[in-house]
Amino acid sequence: MDSSELYHIKQQFTLGAYKSLVDLTLPDPSSPDYTPTLIYQARAHIALGAPAAAEALVPSDTENVALKSVAALARFVAADAEEARDAALEELRDLSVEIEGEDAEATPWEKGTVRVLAGTAFARAGEIEEALETLGAANDTQNLEAVAYTVQVYLSINRPDLARKEFERAKRWAEDDLLLELIEASIGLVTGKDGYSDAHAFYTEQLANPSLTSPHLLTARGVARLLRGEVSAAQSDLEEAQSQLGGKPDAETLAAQTVAAGLGAAKSTDADQLFSQLSSEYPNHPLVTDYQQKADLFDELAAKFTVPALATASA
Amino acid sequence: MSVMLTKFESKSNRVKGLSFHPTQPLLAASLHNGSVQLWNYRMGVLVDRFEEHEGPVRAVAFHPSRALLVTGGDDYKIKVWDIRPTNRRCLFTLHGHLDYIRTVQFHHEMPWILSASDDQTIRIWNSTSRNCIAILTGHSHYVMSAQFHPKEDLIVSASQDQTVRVWDISGLRKNTPNTAPGTFDSFDNFSTVKYVLEGHDRGVNWASFHPTLPLIVSAADDRQIKIWRMSETKAWEVDSCRGHFNNVSTALFHPKHELIVSCGEDKTVRVWDLTKRSAVQTFRREHDRFWVLAAHPELNLFAAGHDSGLIVFKLERERPAFAMHADTLYYVRDKYVRAYDFNTGSDIGLLSVRKFGSPYVPPRTLSYNPAERAVVLTISSDNGLYELTTLPKDAVGEVKDSSTDGKRGSGQSAIFVARNRFAVLNKSTQLIEVRDLSNSVVKSIKPPVQTNEIFYGGTASLILSSATSVVLYDIQQQKTLAEITTPPVKYVVWSADGSLVALLSKHTITIANKNFTQHTLIHETIRIKSGAWDDSGVFIYSTLNHIKYCLAQGDHGVICTLDNPVYLTRVKGKTVYCLDRSARPRTITIDPTEYRFKLALLRNNHEEMLYIIRTSNLLGQSIIAYLQHKGFPEIALHFVQDKNTRFDLAIECGNLDVALETAQTIDRPDCWERLAQQALKQGNHKIVEKAYQRTKNFDRLSFLYLATGSTDKLTKMQKIADARGDPMSRFHNALYAGDVHGRIAVLKDVGMYSLAYLTAKTNGLDDVALDILETAGLTEADVDDVPSFGRSTLKPPTVVTPTTAHNWPTLSMGESFFDKALANGNLEGSADVPYLNGVDGGVAASAALDDWAKDEEGAEDIAAEEGAWDLDAEEAAEPEQEEEAIEEEADLGAGANPGVSETELWTRNSPFAADHVAAGSFDTAMQLLSRQFGIVNFSHLKPVFLSIYRSSHVYLSPLASLPPLQLHLRRDPEESSSGRVLPVAVRNLASIRAELSEGFRAVSGNKLPEAQVVFRATLRSLLLVSISSDSEAKEWRDLVTLAREYLLGVTIEIERRRVAHEDPDNVRRSLELAAYFTHCKLQPAHLQIALRSAIGVFAKANNHATAAKFARRLLELNPDPKIVAQARQRIAAGDRNPRNAVEIAYDEFTEFEICGASFTPIYKGSPAVRCPYTDAAYLPQFKGELDPLTELTEIGASSAGLPAPRS
Repeated sequence: MDSSELYHIKQQFTLGAYKSLVDLTLPDPSSPDYTPTLIYQARAHIALGAPAAAEALVPSDTENVALKSVAALARFVAADAEEARDAALEELRDLSVEIEGEDAEATPWEKGTVRVLAGTAFARAGEIEEALETLGAANDTQNLEAVAYTVQVYLSINRPDLARKEFERAKRWAEDDLLLELIEASIGLVTGKDGYSDAHAFYTEQLANPSLTSPHLLTARGVARLLRGEVSAAQSDLEEAQSQLGGKPDAETLAAQTVAAGLGAAKSTDADQLFSQLSSEYPNHPLVTDYQQKADLFDELAAKFTVPALATASA
Repeated sequence: MSVMLTKFESKSNRVKGLSFHPTQPLLAASLHNGSVQLWNYRMGVLVDRFEEHEGPVRAVAFHPSRALLVTGGDDYKIKVWDIRPTNRRCLFTLHGHLDYIRTVQFHHEMPWILSASDDQTIRIWNSTSRNCIAILTGHSHYVMSAQFHPKEDLIVSASQDQTVRVWDISGLRKNTPNTAPGTFDSFDNFSTVKYVLEGHDRGVNWASFHPTLPLIVSAADDRQIKIWRMSETKAWEVDSCRGHFNNVSTALFHPKHELIVSCGEDKTVRVWDLTKRSAVQTFRREHDRFWVLAAHPELNLFAAGHDSGLIVFKLERERPAFAMHADTLYYVRDKYVRAYDFNTGSDIGLLSVRKFGSPYVPPRTLSYNPAERAVVLTISSDNGLYELTTLPKDAVGEVKDSSTDGKRGSGQSAIFVARNRFAVLNKSTQLIEVRDLSNSVVKSIKPPVQTNEIFYGGTASLILSSATSVVLYDIQQQKTLAEITTPPVKYVVWSADGSLVALLSKHTITIANKNFTQHTLIHETIRIKSGAWDDSGVFIYSTLNHIKYCLAQGDHGVICTLDNPVYLTRVKGKTVYCLDRSARPRTITIDPTEYRFKLALLRNNHEEMLYIIRTSNLLGQSIIAYLQHKGFPEIALHFVQDKNTRFDLAIECGNLDVALETAQTIDRPDCWERLAQQALKQGNHKIVEKAYQRTKNFDRLSFLYLATGSTDKLTKMQKIADARGDPMSRFHNALYAGDVHGRIAVLKDVGMYSLAYLTAKTNGLDDVALDILETAGLTEADVDDVPSFGRSTLKPPTVVTPTTAHNWPTLSMGESFFDKALANGNLEGSADVPYLNGVDGGVAASAALDDWAKDEEGAEDIAAEEGAWDLDAEEAAEPEQEEEAIEEEADLGAGANPGVSETELWTRNSPFAADHVAAGSFDTAMQLLSRQFGIVNFSHLKPVFLSIYRSSHVYLSPLASLPPLQLHLRRDPEESSSGRVLPVAVRNLASIRAELSEGFRAVSGNKLPEAQVVFRATLRSLLLVSISSDSEAKEWRDLVTLAREYLLGVTIEIERRRVAHEDPDNVRRSLELAAYFTHCKLQPAHLQIALRSAIGVFAKANNHATAAKFARRLLELNPDPKIVAQARQRIAAGDRNPRNAVEIAYDEFTEFEICGASFTPIYKGSPAVRCPYTDAAYLPQFKGELDPLTELTEIGASSAGLPAPRS
């Protein structure tokens, strides 16, 4: 079983308290917790958008597949150029093949981590099928983290039914795990109706968790509230998240704030302002890229209509 | 068994004998004062009384199958009574006993009556021949009781001689002697004592057989109850039950359970375990000694007679604990949790709960959790216990006992509130604990009211029932959401979709919506037992003796009667599923027509009403009365055959055709009169005429002809009057017809020559006047003194409109749906219109042209099922998915295909451009806008499009480093069915009204260019608003018009200022524009500004006359006093100087619109082309060009307009 420190680290990671993970001091390298802690810390760095810091954490001469995979993911996320990305992907592919082998010297946990990280990269690269394959969708792997990632991939391709099925299967062997509740909340956010309140309840419950603070939870609850149509409550959540983030909202919060401003009573200029902030700070956020795409689409479509001359009195 | 559930109690003299009617809720009680009472214990009324015995009556018994009662009294007489109310009397009396009669009984199949008497004999009588056929002798003291064996030819008797005897009477059956009374010797052959049971130390008061086992129980003055067993050859004492501390009066075996019930003079009723011979329960009474006890042969009912009356009681609750999920009923019978499948009828035991609480007490409630397949049960024994157990997946082999893995605790009420949480109420500490599945407390709640019971209250909520109210309580926020004052609520039933809840109290039902904001209360005089929701949203409930229905708005009525109470579990179509009092699933077929009809009526679902009318033929007087009462006489009209009622209804709903038709068949003056009145009200003078003709109402007829200008008819009337010899009427008609000659003729005919003369004279008919004089025998000289009058101007008005030719119905008769449908003869495809499941289904289905509608129906069904469960709906959906799992397993895995995205659903579900924009489907959105409003220039709409799209989706990454999920904001967060989801309304009418008022402020502040921008933007935003109802559509249209008028006005004024600035010499144009500005339909405050500006400009140009006119218009708007003063000055100036210096093109007297491009008037009747969106008018020359006001549309393009809202 996990030690209590490791349990806490896992909990923080699950609930998105990446900041506190990054600031963590690593245990003694001889401790069994050392590698997992290192990996979670590295993953937290990546989640915070600092893959370089993650790569720096991992000793370059490591033979540990999990550490190697986290480094590869960091390289993948950091890479701008196509070749570098492909190289990182290839590395992750090799690693996931390696753990399949009979003689692989890796603990089940490490294998699971490799799968999750490789799956993450594949999903980011848009290789849905490969991601699902790697994450072991529909196999009874009993790795809850892999299930969680699988579920999210399913959700991203509009298959909440499959996501729920995966979740139901996991429920049989992973009762009352925090991650399981998170999975349920995510499904709820997509399927809606009572799902919204489940998600809302989950985030509210976790916000009351005294052992950690995570602005991510506030943002998530804000999003859940937006989905429930409680715009002003959502805005206050998001503002609080912003203040917990030291006044500088992360991409997720800022994007949600933009949406909330667009829905709220505030003038549309507020939303536009937030959006321009978002697009300058996080030009790769899907809200920004999607918006750009739609704007181009609009121009293209609008051009198909012929506009007659303006009627004026002189005509 | 902590309580004896008293069902009925009566006060009377001492009760010595009791007997239950085997089928009806009747109880006979014989009293010490000689009276025999017949009670209906269910209704609590005394049905009858038989008072012919002298002295106490100790013995009483019903016949097992006939309406007969036998009694035996201290007057040594046995009397047999017919108890039918129509025929109630003593049929005959049996004489023979020589002392008090203690008990009597009818044999279950032979025509025998058994009696036990203090004369130490037991006698058997033939009730047909009314003879004593056997005398059983042997007891050496009073025989206190004697009973037939329920099956065999045996009798058991108890006597003060301290023995219990069993008699064999098989000989009696073989050769029933038909000898005359008095020949006692012949009886000895068959009255053989089989066993003599000795063991009691004192006199024995009672002995009775076990209904199935070879056992006897006896009660004696030695304060003991003894159990005896018999075999073919012998009988022996098995054991005794000690506990009574005074004489035991009666002891009985429980007909269903392994229990003995006894009562005694120690003022107690006791219950004993038959197998353990231990006391189970004691019910004590303060002052009354118990004398007799009777058990109902079928039901769990007992009656005990005591010093001051009787009580009827149950030993246990009969209401089985049950819960519904999808098509399965989970319930408890005989301490087993069972599952009953409504579709297959399979009924299997899943779990034993024998070891849960007292073995004699059935569980009180059951709450089922489909996600975990777990149940939580409560039981009232041991001060309240609950137990949480999972049900086995399938019941094969040994049924699991809950004690193996059940988690228990104390509490009075326990229910699941979420997948992994349940709530337990502890009544004494008033604490509600929320526990997880491992039974550890997660949360403790102090309820805000003294709570007696808790129920599921919707997601994360509880319903708390207190003595005076129910509280809807939010567990998460720990606060009261709503409270309704009601009598104590005992059961709560949620509707399938979770939108309505029925709160059942003893005598009231409260129907509330899910947040308790609306509710109706229904009172019942009879105890309410249970209820279930029909799939169309009607609440079906059972009382002690009826199944009834109740509509959400409070109408209720009887569906059918019941012999015995049942506990409704579900209603589907015509089938009511229920559990009977022994917890066996049953179905009852009901006729739902009446309530479905009423429901359809309330929902204006005409198709369905028509379908019901067509397919069922009940609809009796009560429905007609109901329809009339509810204000739907026109519908009632379609059911009525009786012509009088039909006439009444037709008059009431103004259907003159039907009224005329029926009036003709009835043909009574009062009908014609009423018809005439109604027809007159509606302006149908032809029918009025007919009615007056029928009733020969000549005066009114003439007046009617006058009113309608029917001169030829008046002439005819004159002739008729002549024929009738009624000069007054002739005169009238002549007057009405303007027929001077006629008038003179009448006056002449009646000899009023003077008047005739004057009439002729004043009408210039001098010849006629002379004639008259002649006839009167006078000359002109004789009338010299008559002053000459001027020419008469008396004549009827000339006919302007020939109303007489056509009817002029002022009351329009909207053609009713029924008229149409019924007139068409057969309802088209009537067979194809099945009963639609209520909820708005009717309209949608008939319009099922679009695919989405079909989708919606399919999805609707599922949604309803989901809601049927009282846990979270999404969890409830799980079993269904499991069923599909096999086929779909292949899909689950790496090769999963992407599903239908939410945005795709949005575009499918909505005809509004706004929703398509939100879905990101700009392509279809533009097509819609172009088709609906003729939009061609989209460039201005880009920011609106993009901001709506941007505000309709939100991103979240629940897991580290994965690309964030795009989540879609829905309009109604409560909606998840794929056929109904719609995007959030980023722009709505309220937000646009706010935008408009910003424009108004700019107008007031004279910031016209700014205002112009705002109004343009408003009109652009209005394009992207989704409408959900007709009233919203109207409001939308009003807003468009309002914004257009302001935009036009502001644009005109801007143009005027431009002209004044750039071309100061063109005063004429400037004046025109100022004048036109005042004709834009602005709000009064802004119209004042327009008028004042116009006044100023016109005054400056010395057009004082027009300025004064504007000032007058200004005054009409009730402006400030200061402005009033200025306006008056202007008017005065105009009066002084009523001239216009500059001639302008402005005709204020003809209505006109203003061309939005040239700003010139388009007078009414002149040709104009319009903007397909705002309907702004343009001169025809601008057709095909871009509308300059909004810069969006092509002027004069055709458009479909705002699509109808799909609700």
